[in-house]
Amino acid sequence: MKYRPYLLLAELTYRCPLHCPYCSNPARYPDGRELTTAEWQRVFREAAALGVLHAGLSGGEPLQRADLPELVGAAREAGLYTNLITSAAGLNEARLGQLKAAGLDNIQISFQSDQESPANRIAGAAMHRVKLAAARMAHAAGFPLTVNVVLHRDNIDRLEEIIALAEELEAERLELANVQFYGWAFRNRAGLLPTRGQIAAAVPVAARAKQRLLGRMRILFVTPDYYSDRPKPCMDGWGRRFLTVNPVGEVLPCPTAKEIKELRFDNVRDHALDWIWHESAAFRRFRGTEWMPLPCRECEFREVDFGGCRCQAALLAGDAGVTDPACALSPHRERLTEFVQAAQSLEAPDFAYRQNP
Amino acid sequence: MNALTDQSRAVLARGVRLRADPLSGEPLLLFPEGILPLDATTHDILLRCTGDLTLAGLLLALSEEYEVEPDELRTDVVQCLTHLRQEMLVVW
Repeated sequence: MKYRPYLLLAELTYRCPLHCPYCSNPARYPDGRELTTAEWQRVFREAAALGVLHAGLSGGEPLQRADLPELVGAAREAGLYTNLITSAAGLNEARLGQLKAAGLDNIQISFQSDQESPANRIAGAAMHRVKLAAARMAHAAGFPLTVNVVLHRDNIDRLEEIIALAEELEAERLELANVQFYGWAFRNRAGLLPTRGQIAAAVPVAARAKQRLLGRMRILFVTPDYYSDRPKPCMDGWGRRFLTVNPVGEVLPCPTAKEIKELRFDNVRDHALDWIWHESAAFRRFRGTEWMPLPCRECEFREVDFGGCRCQAALLAGDAGVTDPACALSPHRERLTEFVQAAQSLEAPDFAYRQNP
Repeated sequence: MNALTDQSRAVLARGVRLRADPLSGEPLLLFPEGILPLDATTHDILLRCTGDLTLAGLLLALSEEYEVEPDELRTDVVQCLTHLRQEMLVVW
């Protein structure tokens, strides 16, 4: 089978003025210089030639790159659909104008809550008002808007109000992303995991809003895998549809793959993207079903969920090559269950806030 | 959602792009985090969703291309546009 990537996540920088304790950036940043404008231009061209259709421009905070409009232009020139994934820090009218001229297709702004004070506390920065103003400016400049809110113990009880905020901002799309435990979020997971009761209350709120807003706002809400019996089909399979290029040029099958310490990720400075995608050891390691141990190998869902998430297997079971412990059939499931049980009554500890490299 | 009438002019919603797959040549809709491969009829409809045509004009144009009466196409075209509208891929 010939594999083809459809989506490139371009992490342009690790620099970010926010300090969200659930950031999926690695808690230990890799060494190296950020890719230059010319290097990114080559990455976009090579990605498009491989079949990539979407480029997510992310970070860190992508607006920290002074050459962002040039990078958007290069991605568009390569034919890619461009989505700016931003905290909105640094998004002003002048930059919006440059991004519009460069052909940017969509803007996704993260919010931490619907209320200023808790939002600023979670972000570790006074950003809520800046975000509100930026979202309105983006809308006025003619951009379609996605609002992304990472849900966790401290904000999930505000789900109704968060949805109302997205409506007020006239977002076309609302991503209610239950926190996933990698990078900084894994370090802070005891303070972030919602309780079973909080999830049970949130599910019908999201479902009702989805129904009510049909045709006006697309709402994405997925029950978190820590509370599910089935693992998530992580990245739709390893090295199957997605690739990430991190700020220093390493190419990853998923944004958090640096959690897997046994893998070495090849760099666009040393190899063509085509070779890395098709031939590199890291991309071939968990591709398809050949690598699967039991119970995955004989499971009827092996081509539905692909054994779940390799990073989660590495973090929870200490081995990226076993069934994701979020699966009820995993021999390591107990570790997840114990953690989830303990978290129900836990006094949430203080957050370890994300630091810059 | 306002009703679809003969005077409605359907256009692609903002942030939605119609293009050919560079590898296969097949028509696609691209939108935030999404890719929708199009069948030939939906593609023919969307090619005409430029704002120049009303629904009545769109049915007439398609009927000429397919060599059938406009009313024979109406149910399918309305169903197709209504579905795309719910998915926020077209507006009118």
